[in-house]
Amino acid sequence: MADADPLNLAVVDDDEAVRTALGRLLRAMGHEVRAFASAEEYEARGAEADCLIVDLRLPGLNGFELRERLRLRGSRIPIVFITGDGGPSPSDATAHVGTPTVAKPFSDGDLIAAIALAVSSGANLY
Amino acid sequence: MPAAANRQLAVRLAVGRALGRTRDLDDVYSAALDTLAECLDISRASVLLFDPDGVMRFKAWRNLSSEYRAAVQGHSPWTPESVDAEPLLVPDVTREPSLDAYLPVIARENIAAMAFIPLVSLGRVIGKFMLYYAAPHLFDDEEVQLVGIIAAAIAFAVERGRAQESRPRSDATPGYEPNASAIGPWEWAASSDALAERSDGLPSGTLRQVRQCDIETDRDCLKIVDLDGRLLYVNPAGVAQLDAEDSRALLGRRWVDFWDDKDQEVVEAAMARARTGAIARFQRPARTFAGAMKWWDVAVMPIVDSAGDVVQFKAVSRDVSAQWRAEVFQAGQHQVLEMIATGAPLAEVLTLLAHVIEDQCERLVCQSLLLDVDGTHVRVGAAPSLPEEFARRFDGQAVGPRIGSCGTVMQTGRSVIVTDIGSDPQWTVLRDAAASIGRRACWSNPILSSKKKVLGSFTMFCDTSRGPTCEELRLIETAADLAGAAVDHHRSQEALRQSEERNHAILRAIPDLMFVFSDEGVYLDFHAKDPSDLFVPPEGFLGKKMRDVMPPPLAGIFSQAFERALASNEPERLEYSLDLPHERRFFEACIVRCDSDKLLSIVRDISDRKYAELDAAAQRQELAHLNRVLILAEQSGALAHELSQPLAAILANAQAARHMLDRDPLDLVELRETLDDVIKSDKRAGMVIHRLRELLKKSSAVLQPLDLNEVTREVLELTHSDLLLRRMPITTELSLGIPLVLGDRVQLQQVILNLLINACDAMSTVDPSERELRLTTVADDECVQIAVSDRGVGIPDGALDSVFDPFVTHRAEGLGLGLAISRSIVVAHHGRIQAENNADRGATFRCFLPLATGTADGVPSATRL
Repeated sequence: MADADPLNLAVVDDDEAVRTALGRLLRAMGHEVRAFASAEEYEARGAEADCLIVDLRLPGLNGFELRERLRLRGSRIPIVFITGDGGPSPSDATAHVGTPTVAKPFSDGDLIAAIALAVSSGANLY
Repeated sequence: MPAAANRQLAVRLAVGRALGRTRDLDDVYSAALDTLAECLDISRASVLLFDPDGVMRFKAWRNLSSEYRAAVQGHSPWTPESVDAEPLLVPDVTREPSLDAYLPVIARENIAAMAFIPLVSLGRVIGKFMLYYAAPHLFDDEEVQLVGIIAAAIAFAVERGRAQESRPRSDATPGYEPNASAIGPWEWAASSDALAERSDGLPSGTLRQVRQCDIETDRDCLKIVDLDGRLLYVNPAGVAQLDAEDSRALLGRRWVDFWDDKDQEVVEAAMARARTGAIARFQRPARTFAGAMKWWDVAVMPIVDSAGDVVQFKAVSRDVSAQWRAEVFQAGQHQVLEMIATGAPLAEVLTLLAHVIEDQCERLVCQSLLLDVDGTHVRVGAAPSLPEEFARRFDGQAVGPRIGSCGTVMQTGRSVIVTDIGSDPQWTVLRDAAASIGRRACWSNPILSSKKKVLGSFTMFCDTSRGPTCEELRLIETAADLAGAAVDHHRSQEALRQSEERNHAILRAIPDLMFVFSDEGVYLDFHAKDPSDLFVPPEGFLGKKMRDVMPPPLAGIFSQAFERALASNEPERLEYSLDLPHERRFFEACIVRCDSDKLLSIVRDISDRKYAELDAAAQRQELAHLNRVLILAEQSGALAHELSQPLAAILANAQAARHMLDRDPLDLVELRETLDDVIKSDKRAGMVIHRLRELLKKSSAVLQPLDLNEVTREVLELTHSDLLLRRMPITTELSLGIPLVLGDRVQLQQVILNLLINACDAMSTVDPSERELRLTTVADDECVQIAVSDRGVGIPDGALDSVFDPFVTHRAEGLGLGLAISRSIVVAHHGRIQAENNADRGATFRCFLPLATGTADGVPSATRL
């Protein structure tokens, strides 16, 4: 499915091994991937993408905060959270609502399903 | 004074006086045998001396048959070469093998028990003093002691006699040497009117001959005595020496009446001997008409008529009082010194001293006062001739001028002569008391220690108001010196006794075992409060070598400690354990050198403490483990993240690889890279699991040399993501090449973890932009320091001390055990941990751990904590 519909994806994860593996997987599935080690790096260099895949636990701004800033700036970019554990506790209990989240380790199917959900929901979602 | 002490004093005085009374050895023996009979009721005794051939010969005896004496003469338990001879006491002669050969003759003499007392002079046996009993006899200590005193006096007299003989004539004391011209044979016709008065006072019939030998001008007391023993003539010097008004008071009186009853026999014997034509000599004391005691050296010579018959006696008496007093004093001093040396009670020594001094000067009485140990109060030492009531007035008084001149002497340390008690201000209080006992003058000298410290005073009381003669002054000084020696000796003995008593008390009180070893490691002595504390009975180790008693490895450890203790003179400590049938016991030994060539080993059973320590160590490990579990539980999120990262990478890579396999052509290079990453991530996950397992493992601590930087890095790897998540920016400054410390890896990791968590908690309420976590390691010559510094809320005032106490926490979560456990771990590593508030903000926790190179053998070994 993804092979048939290549997407332009951005990955933000501070862990180099995860970042590299994720990029490799998504590219093997036919997508364009740009990877960033932190939220700040993405903000500085980040261009438009079809979907942003972001680790919740990051040095500096975390996943929630990045999403917050993007939305405040009016960006409607679809977002998928990935998390190695419960992640940082969001101040708002509804923080996860509207943003598909997958827990590491995840299969390619889970990830693609989450991306698909985020993209299809688009700006209708949070 | 107890009866035994009284008897001892009586014996000493009797023998002392006897020794002073005569220089004639036969008289000394006789006096000794008399004293024995009087004081001890022993009527059969003898004195024997080695003759120059080394044969023991009878010199004096009482109630022994000549047959017996002939039979046993020459027998002796000792030879003249014997040293350290001890009395041989034979309670039953039939049970003494050495007497077997003499048993028949002993039995015939009706002797059932006997005592051989050696006469020892200058360490050598010179003879023996024998006591005989008709029935088997058990000797008591007092009896042996008293006999010993008499034996010592005999030996002293013998030695004195021998010294006198060997002394060159010119040095001899100016004793009496009969004028050669005055010694017969005399040519003389007795006049029938011998008593007829002549104008010059000389009996007419004697005049011619007497004039020839200038008897009138003779400085000795010269008398002519008729055969009935009545005085016919006394020369002017004699009249003066006898304190008579003129010769009329003397003439016609019996000469023997001038002597003491007990000495009259001697005088009679001398005249009897002179009657045979020989010259007789004797030495005895007698009082003058004025009552003064004088000592006389007397020669009695026959006066013969032309037919050669003895018709009168000429008696020449020389006043040798001065010499005799000196002799008596010398003998008395000897007795006093001997009493001091044998440790007689001080009161008895001072009593004898008073008697000895009083024997020297008539009409004077002596008193010794002692200063209390507190130096301010007076105690009566001895005043045997003063009424007890008077002496008691001094007892317990404070030193000062109010208690007579003696008080002043003790206060000033100088001698004081009071010639008239009646007018002396120092005697205001006690004046009447002194007057009531007829004491008018008193002369005191301080009793000083060898270090010139005042110990008391020696005082002579005189019954007339006068000052002392030179002779009397000399006596007081000598007496004070002797008293000083006695008190000094007594005090040092007392100090020694007290110290020994203290030592005994200490020994009784302490539960430790003590062993004394020779420098060769032989058990010489031991002390055990409870003998059952010894695992080997005393006969199993005393006199044996340590190597033959202790298990070999332990003996080796001990002998090394012995060598070190002997070489360094410092106490050596060692701990060891012994496996007993049912348990293992732990001991601590402290070994010190003593008596220069011996070793004292004090052994304490520390099993209880040791087991408690082991229990504490086990508890500490339990707690530490609990703490680690809690830390990990608290950090489960971070840990899950640490594990899920590599797992996520592995899964993603694996699935990427599967996608790659669907491609054509196959990119093998990329595929290999992907697989390599899978392996790398898997290893990473394995590492995390390994660390976790280490932290969660419940194992006893093992000390090994560790690089603290490495330990720190391991902790940081584990906590890295948690610190990130908690927004705790960390700065590390790890000094390069820091020395190793001896420690347990997991426990030290735990300490660092606890300090990091503590720092993070302190900053949790601080704005992330102001947070700073700093971890540094530095080392000096002695230890490595690891410091964790935060910019948090700091430690509240007054809580710096309690911050390491258990259950003290300022956080919502946790038990407050982290810092307490950290401290117990650091202390168990022989290190220390401290907390301080930073000058500007936050707190710094430092922990110091000793360097591994500080171990004794230089090669750190793994040791259980």
